[in-house]
Amino acid sequence: MINNKANILIVDDEKGLRLGTKRLLEEEGYDVATAENGEEGIKLGTSKEFDVAVIDLKMPDIDGLDVLKEIKNVHPNTVCFIATAYASYDTAILATRIGAYGYIPKPFTPEEFCYQIEQGIKQRKLILDSERLKKEREENLFELASEKSRLNAIIKSINEGVLVINKNNEVVYYNYSALKFLNLPDLKIGENITGKLPDKICAIIQKIFSKEKILLKSYTVQTEVGANNELIVEAACTPVPQPDGTLAGVVITLGNITEFKKIEIIKSQFVSMVAHELKAPLAAIQGFLNIILNVSLNIDKEKEKDYLKRSVSRLKSLTDLVNDLLDISRMEIKTKQRELEDVMLADVVNSTLQFLELEAKKKNLTIEKQFEGNIPSIKADLNEITRMVTNLLSNACKYNVENGKIIISISVLQNYLQLVVKDTGVGLKAEEKTKLFSEFYRAKNERTRGISGTGLGLSIVKRIVDSYHGSINVESEYGVGTSFTIKLPINQN
Amino acid sequence: MSSRKINKILLVDDDIDLLEQTKLLLESKGFKVVTAEDSEQGFKAFQQENPDAAIIDLIMEQMDSGFILCYKIKKTEHGKNIPVYLLTSATYETGFKFSASTQEEKEWIKCDGIIHKPVVVEELISKLENFS
Repeated sequence: MINNKANILIVDDEKGLRLGTKRLLEEEGYDVATAENGEEGIKLGTSKEFDVAVIDLKMPDIDGLDVLKEIKNVHPNTVCFIATAYASYDTAILATRIGAYGYIPKPFTPEEFCYQIEQGIKQRKLILDSERLKKEREENLFELASEKSRLNAIIKSINEGVLVINKNNEVVYYNYSALKFLNLPDLKIGENITGKLPDKICAIIQKIFSKEKILLKSYTVQTEVGANNELIVEAACTPVPQPDGTLAGVVITLGNITEFKKIEIIKSQFVSMVAHELKAPLAAIQGFLNIILNVSLNIDKEKEKDYLKRSVSRLKSLTDLVNDLLDISRMEIKTKQRELEDVMLADVVNSTLQFLELEAKKKNLTIEKQFEGNIPSIKADLNEITRMVTNLLSNACKYNVENGKIIISISVLQNYLQLVVKDTGVGLKAEEKTKLFSEFYRAKNERTRGISGTGLGLSIVKRIVDSYHGSINVESEYGVGTSFTIKLPINQN
Repeated sequence: MSSRKINKILLVDDDIDLLEQTKLLLESKGFKVVTAEDSEQGFKAFQQENPDAAIIDLIMEQMDSGFILCYKIKKTEHGKNIPVYLLTSATYETGFKFSASTQEEKEWIKCDGIIHKPVVVEELISKLENFS
């Protein structure tokens, strides 16, 4: 209100004075309201907060001082003047005591009056500013207090463990996660922590305490916690300096990294297996070439040709392996950026069969297709579905017997599309079935000898099926045949 | 145990290419070589042929097939007295952390040493001949 036009209230029973001052102040750019008696003055002055009020002291109904009192009661920040022709020292004192800002003696010149009003408005601004500052300070104090309890609540409830100790190894602060990650039933503030922390963490704390100069950096250590070392915890210890730069203590944050460790182990096992699988064909090729190059062995042309052929075949299997590995890594990245389109499973099967025709003919395999009518398309990445079908069908060829059979059926089962690939091949032993989808697992027995493969084909199939929220199952009888059943949800977007 | 002349060597490896290569190289050095492609055949060949040494691939049908065959051979009366070596491309770098360099490790793994692929035949022969 004060920023725009100031609101001024004139309370006076003299009509000429009311109108005159009103016009005068409006010309100066103020908003003016007038009241012709005390009662109206109180009504107006209390219903709305005016910036400045000028109240005549002597009015027929209510005394100006009473009007002042009433207005001040409701709006203590309204700056009030008492205007009167009967100025006396006593009334002036009294008026000021009640809360009047000033006295305007009648009669007054327009200049005098305007000057007084300007002073009143300045005062009003000061009052409002100090009110605002006061309010801000109160809010700050309130925030400070609630900030402290809020911080406390946050630290208590975070998943990371927090433990603060002072230079005497005494507990200064801790949260519940810290107890959990240190496998401690309880801690007391002020209690000595020595002997309660894992050795590795203690060693780091001692290291920090033994340093002459405080380096504001964290020291991290991983340690096993729990009765059976079931929890792997990463502790970051950071020195806490005092304002004068000396060491106040150490803050230890504890995070549960058990799951990350598990993934790390799986990953490094996978890398080990990849390295092993890559080394085997390389060693074989290197061996053959060394033999051919070794003049002293003097092998005949026939043998040399055989060894070169076998080297080429090992190189092919190495290439297959690298391609499979690339597929797996591509698949891990691709889940976000695969290109979904309407894929007809039957079309994919048919085109894949064309590729495998030669291989099937070599073994004189019969291929039987049982496709249900009106099979809907699925939203999928064509490359992935082709890869899935290719791996399944090529296995059905590879592990089949001479003059064997492959039966491929596609049907709709509730909300699922079902693909069954059944072969009359070597089949699986019970213990082989469980490992079938693991990376690099290949059923090794007298019937599979001589069949090459990377050991990744079915694990890729499973990854693809899983990525579409489908399922894959295998039924098999050793020496009789194997049947793979894949279910993929229809209408996925 | 006295050092004795090695004549007949049993080779067990499920990689038929490597099996043939090592066989050829050892034969070129004048050894008689008996081969087998898995641990079961390997043990049969050991019993029938009474070889003077055995070289066994570690990972065959199972991750531990080589260990088990070694163990079975070393448990026999004849096996105790001949050098039995494990053949592997698994090394520290590939994450399979074992060796058979100390007596304790040899005792535990039940083999006389580990030979890394690719096989350097001269090294292999010198190892076998210096076995005591």
